[in-house]
Amino acid sequence: MDLARVDAILEGRGSEPFDVMEVLQDIQEEFRYLPEDAMRQTAEILQVPLIEVFRLANFYKAFSLKPRGRHLITVCTGTACHVQGARKLGDQVLGQLKVGPGETTQDGAFTVETVNCVGACALAPVVIIDGEYYDHMTPKKLRKLISRIRKVDAQEEETRTNA
Amino acid sequence: MPRLGNLDDLAALCDALGSKREQSTRTVTMCAGTACRACGCLPVAEAVEAEIEKQGLCGEVLFRTTGCHGFCEQGPLAIIEPGNIFYAKLKVDDVEELVSQTLKENQVVERLLYTDPVSGEKVRTEDAIPFYASQTRVLLGDNTKLSPENIDEYLSLGGYTALAKTLTSTSPGDVVSTVQASGLRGRGGGGYSTGRKWEQCRQAPGEEHYVICNADEGDPGAYMDRCLLEGNPHAVIEGMAIGAYAIGARQGFVYVRKEYPLAVRHVEGAIEQAHEYGLLGDNILGTDFSFDVKVVHGGGAFVCGESTALMASLEGKVGEPRAKDVHTVEHGYLNQPTCLNNVETWANVPKIITNGAEWFAQKGTQNSKGTKIFALTGQVKNTGLVEVEMGASLREVIFDIGGGPQNGRAIKAVQTGGPSGGCLPESEFDLAVDFDELYEAGSMMGSGGMVVMDDSACMVDVAKYFLTFLQDESCGKCLTCRIGISRMLDIVTDVCEGCGTPEQLDLLEDLAWTVSVGSLCALGKTAANPVLSTLKYFREEYEAHIEQESCPAGVCPALIHYTIDEDTCNNCGLCAQNCPYEAISGDKESGYRINGEICTRCGICVESCNKKAIVKS
Amino acid sequence: MPEMVTLAIDEQEVEVEEGTNVLAAALGAGICIPNLCYLPGLKPTGACRVCIVEVEKNGRTKMTASCTLEAKDGMVIHAHSENVLRARRNIVELLVAEAPESEVLQVLAERIEVEDVRYPERDNDCILCGRCVTACAEIAATGAKGSIGRGMNRHIGLPFYNEEYCQKCYECRERCPMEIAPQSRRDPCGVCGSELSKNEDLIPEMCGDCELD
Repeated sequence: MDLARVDAILEGRGSEPFDVMEVLQDIQEEFRYLPEDAMRQTAEILQVPLIEVFRLANFYKAFSLKPRGRHLITVCTGTACHVQGARKLGDQVLGQLKVGPGETTQDGAFTVETVNCVGACALAPVVIIDGEYYDHMTPKKLRKLISRIRKVDAQEEETRTNA
Repeated sequence: MPRLGNLDDLAALCDALGSKREQSTRTVTMCAGTACRACGCLPVAEAVEAEIEKQGLCGEVLFRTTGCHGFCEQGPLAIIEPGNIFYAKLKVDDVEELVSQTLKENQVVERLLYTDPVSGEKVRTEDAIPFYASQTRVLLGDNTKLSPENIDEYLSLGGYTALAKTLTSTSPGDVVSTVQASGLRGRGGGGYSTGRKWEQCRQAPGEEHYVICNADEGDPGAYMDRCLLEGNPHAVIEGMAIGAYAIGARQGFVYVRKEYPLAVRHVEGAIEQAHEYGLLGDNILGTDFSFDVKVVHGGGAFVCGESTALMASLEGKVGEPRAKDVHTVEHGYLNQPTCLNNVETWANVPKIITNGAEWFAQKGTQNSKGTKIFALTGQVKNTGLVEVEMGASLREVIFDIGGGPQNGRAIKAVQTGGPSGGCLPESEFDLAVDFDELYEAGSMMGSGGMVVMDDSACMVDVAKYFLTFLQDESCGKCLTCRIGISRMLDIVTDVCEGCGTPEQLDLLEDLAWTVSVGSLCALGKTAANPVLSTLKYFREEYEAHIEQESCPAGVCPALIHYTIDEDTCNNCGLCAQNCPYEAISGDKESGYRINGEICTRCGICVESCNKKAIVKS
Repeated sequence: MPEMVTLAIDEQEVEVEEGTNVLAAALGAGICIPNLCYLPGLKPTGACRVCIVEVEKNGRTKMTASCTLEAKDGMVIHAHSENVLRARRNIVELLVAEAPESEVLQVLAERIEVEDVRYPERDNDCILCGRCVTACAEIAATGAKGSIGRGMNRHIGLPFYNEEYCQKCYECRERCPMEIAPQSRRDPCGVCGSELSKNEDLIPEMCGDCELD
């Protein structure tokens, strides 16, 4: 792991109590998870007990202790989405990708998450894939979306190998 | 941007911007809130701008994109002035006609108008749309008038005048008195008197005082805070600055959910612009008052909406609440007096200062003043954000504004207040919506979520849904919340699976009581409400699950199963293709069968079948 | 001299130093409030809820844990009202169902007359009272241990679950209600934490039936 990237994030931090949260959020963004060494470094530089850093990492949904997949599928399970059939979307993902919420597919392509409401209730049920909102989702639309992403990934992979 | 040195500078700028606004004869306003973006409004907006230029209307037509208007399901939508013409569900292909007909020729394009789902008729103007007509849009109204990314638009509507008035001619004590006299109560759920909170915080001794805007809106089914922050961030910042002046704070925080990236961007941008004008920072408008706001991103934990947990999180700790016997107005962030209010509460403040406490107190009921924004969602015709005077009945909101049930079904219940609230049956719909009435009925205002459910919803399943949510979101520190919720969930799950007993319902009630009296924070104390309210109003549904082992609404997976009716089935194979679990086998010759062992009763096959050959029983 | 405050607990007037919590005030005055996660003299967490009491204010009552409640002048506390006893029994019942093997919990349940455990047993080896965490932070001053995760996933552990971070002083184990029999607990009384049960003159009436004196 490249500790220099962690040090760059830590640069100039430590004066405010919430810096530790912001640093961890930045590390998560940078590495798509919180590597152990990065947490140790954070604890040491910001002079926060290591157990506290480890607790933060385990408490907040923003953090992940294992690398997240290249694509993030977030199924909203807010009340509005729930009554409009979000459960079926969870079923679709679980059936198609064989991973449940919080898990990543073996090939590292997809991480699946649920979120308790993204505040787009009028468009329920909602799925967010890589930051893009998809409204009035149906299992069928979701299946096609996932297949399309897979296809695009495969094509890119092919181009890379050929090159 | 020039720094505004005093009150006159601000007044002059507001006047100049205001008259410029009035001069622009034609305006196209498009909503670009999160929901409209999801519906593809940005390409449409780009097309409109390009088309305006292409057709040579550049100098004549003012185009702006705004935050959320509230009528999300009609997006992308545009309002054209003069005429208040309202176009819904726009596509890029519609843009050419919109510009050439409406902007150039003043002709309304009929096919782009909104169709009222109740009457089936086209509606020409925004004002005439039933969804809007019955609302009192004190806060949301501004969302449709300004671009959140440009402070000048807020100033052109007289923005920051309330702050200027406060700083130059009102003492902190008088500001508190005004807020107190207005009767404003916290919009985040608790409904505590805002003025009293300010007064307590102002009086509390401490080295520093802090103000916090709670934008960790986590109630599922509520998104009014997101819309206010996205659509009118300056109103919130101005409210915070006024509050800071009143209680003696120099630093404020906006604690915002990570799931709201657009809101984060708009608030951060707004803070920057306010700085440039000298409306934040040192010696605001040339006075002694200095105040700054910092945006802090939440880490994704519902419990952080609770004030002590939020402050713990702000201090870089895990979001565990502490006992609230010592109030945060005395010992809050870094143990200093801290005044925390919700987004909507802060946004109301400039309005109260500008229009006076009496103006605000005239609206609403005896003990709940002003307007409240609700997120009307679920199985109702019109969904979106609704702002009504406190005291409007649930029926008015659900039927007059919401247009009643979808697809001719019957509305059974409304869930208010999110996981802390409860489900109220149709028989209670004449209830006036205010803090106390909802509480009396066994629910809560909460932050204002209203999820309408028709007869396709199972109320035991709804209780199970909220318990699952709460089990997931409980911090787990105190026993009654951690274990109590999981035990409640176990019992409700038994009921959903048809293996509950009547004795379990008594135990459930006893346990619910224990959790509500025994828990450390508000999350736990209110966690039983979804259970208690469904037990109170929909006990017969629990009993049906227990006694007949059936789910009347046909929702609970363990109590239903699917079969393919061979006579109706045309062997097309779509169901097998769509089943995510590969639980349907067969071929076009011999027909298809559902394997009950693999089937999870998700019902995806039912949706995929064109022949309606899949029967639920 | 520290300021003194006077409060009423179960209609008995109690005078304590300002800043004392209600549980400590009660125990000091010989009023037994059963408790579990509380370690006398250390920072209370309010995790187990066993020491729940009712606070009366303006004719209204509200329930809260007494360990995290600071004693205030004029405060009126009911530690053994009908509601309190019902809530406390239900709370201990939940605890016993989580860890039926724990002798401490069994004694506690018996002591406050929990008659029946109405939940299926779960057989946990930790009830997350957090005594070990408090001990690690405040007695051992190591601060190595902590509660990790949230909700039902919450558990006690070391950073990265790595034993290297533990100094092996075992202050935590000494205070674990799951590890040890009640009589061997360091606290004077295995149930209420009160030292009074050892002092014949000060034994409060309610301790009379207590089997642990």
